[in-house]
Formats: sequence, C-alpha cells, structure tokens
Amino acid sequence: MEKETYIKFVIPAVVVLVAIIGITILSGLASDNPDGFEWAVFDFAGVAEPEGGFPGIFSFLGEGPLVDVLTGAVGIVIVLFIGLLIFKVTSRKE
Amino acid sequence: MHVPDGIIPLWLLLILYVVSGLFLAFSIKRINRRFDDKLVPYMGVLAAVVFAAQLVNFPVPPFSSGHLVGSTLLAVMVGPFAGIVIMALVLFIQALYGDGGLLSYGLNLFNMGVFSCFFGWAASLLLFKGMRKAMNDERAVTIGTSIAAFITTVVAAFVLGLELLSVSGFNELALAAITGVHLIIGVGEAILTSAILLYFVRAKPRLISFLKDSDVQEIAEVIETDWATSQEGTKVVAK
Repeated sequence: MEKETYIKFVIPAVVVLVAIIGITILSGLASDNPDGFEWAVFDFAGVAEPEGGFPGIFSFLGEGPLVDVLTGAVGIVIVLFIGLLIFKVTSRKE
Repeated sequence: MHVPDGIIPLWLLLILYVVSGLFLAFSIKRINRRFDDKLVPYMGVLAAVVFAAQLVNFPVPPFSSGHLVGSTLLAVMVGPFAGIVIMALVLFIQALYGDGGLLSYGLNLFNMGVFSCFFGWAASLLLFKGMRKAMNDERAVTIGTSIAAFITTVVAAFVLGLELLSVSGFNELALAAITGVHLIIGVGEAILTSAILLYFVRAKPRLISFLKDSDVQEIAEVIETDWATSQEGTKVVAK
C-alpha cells in the first residue's frame, strides 16, 4: 500500500466525514424522532419497548450532541482501521 | 432499522445468526485474494463512509426519521460479498455502541447486509442494463442504483415486518405501517445513495463494479469464473 494514498485520500476522507457528522449533529440538523422501525413497532403497534440490554461501550459518557460527535468520530476511525485490516488480510499483494 | 434485543423471539434470532454467519463466512471466502492491496485504503474508507452516514438520522415529518443503510450502494460499488463484509463490520461496531442488539446482530445483518446487498445488487443490475440503452453508463448506474436503493429499503422493511409478525401485538396493520414509513425513508436513501455514488462516479469510477475497466470486478464477481486464469494475468469480467 502506498503511503501517498493514505495522505492524499484516506486522511482527508476521514477528516471530511468527521467534519460533516460534527456540523450536522451540532447544528441540530439530525432528527431526534424515532426511526421508522421504532415508530412502527413502539408507537404504532404499541409493542412495549424493551428495558435493559447492552447500553453500549460509551454509555458512561452520558448523552448529548458533543458526546455523539466524539463517539461518532471514534467509531469512524475504528471502522476504518478494522476495515483496512480485514481487507488487507483478504487482498493479494501485486 | 436496527432491532434491539428483547423484541424478536430467541428462536428467530438464533436461526438468523446461523444464516448470516454462513453468508458472512462464504463472503469472506469469496473475496479472499480476489483484489490487489492497492484497493485496501478505498475499501476501508467505504466502510467508514457507511458508518458515518448511518450516524445521522434525517427527519421524516411529522413523527419519524430514517438514515442511510448503504447496502445497495456497497453492492453496486464492490459487489454483494464485499458489501456483506463491510455491513457486518459496521453493524458490529454499532452493536457495541448500543445501536442494535448483540443478540439481534444476526437478524440485523440479515436484513441490512445479506438480504439488502443481494436484492439491491440484483435490482441495480437489472435497472442498469435496461437504462444503459438510453443513456451513458455513468448516468445509468447512478439513476439505476438510486431507484434500486429505494426499492430495496421498502422491501427490506417489509421483510423486517414479516419477522416482527412473530412478536405479540405486531399485526398486518403494523406491517403496512412499517412498510409505508419506509416509502419515505427510501426516498432519503435514494437521494443519499445518488449523492455518494455521483461523487465516486466523478472522483473514482474504477471503484464501481458496474462500470467498464473497474478495478473491483474480481471482488464483485457473483457468478464464479475461472479464478486461476485471472491470477495468470487475464482480466476476469463480471457476468
């Protein structure tokens, strides 16, 4: 893999993704309404919303737009790295 | 469309864990050694793009919201098998974030990965082949994939609704409601899919498996051809 590809493509792409997510969440453009599944099951059909379950590894940080941006940015980087690892292992060296 | 734990009966979750697990193992086997490592950075970024796009919900007035799933987009760009692998990764991290249950992971992977990637790929291919007679390939792949993304979102919601019929209190009317609300969410999926695809069509068209001279045709191949031939240097063309 060429270092140049990472500098010219991967790093700018991650920066742009984090910036878009940050601006969208912090400016309140993201909707807080229940998604289509939640609305149809819990609101429309009246199925009881389950309590408990796994709250997520970042639940100790609480909730809020800043937490969403921070954890979102961390997630983007994690997915990128694991993705690179998986596809590196499954690729052939030219 | 991320289903949390505690709603769907355990027997159905276990069945779909096995089904999705088998498809994931087969997908990894199918993509193994089928592409050169120069493509690795782009595959990683694609996974990050889908994860990021799923973070933000767009409003569906007045009561609901939706987000991009991205399965059709991935299936058209890198094929259904690589699409399933990327969706498996994205959904796993989301499950660790508490978005979609850990026990429901197999069900979520089936709905948004296995089913949506194959259905979205097939619908896109049909539309692309029909539309390319009337327009150039770049336009045909963008418009065809967007329409397919809309159809796939609605059909995947219907499939989820069928699974939810196993839940007490969820009836045929609710099945119509979940499918109906995804008619609007599907429009958002189509718009976002066309926007992302348009960027790649202009910036990196060789990453789109449907287009000529694509670098990802080998990994996107669905009908197996003689892979040994391609390793000797002959280009394998996706059928």
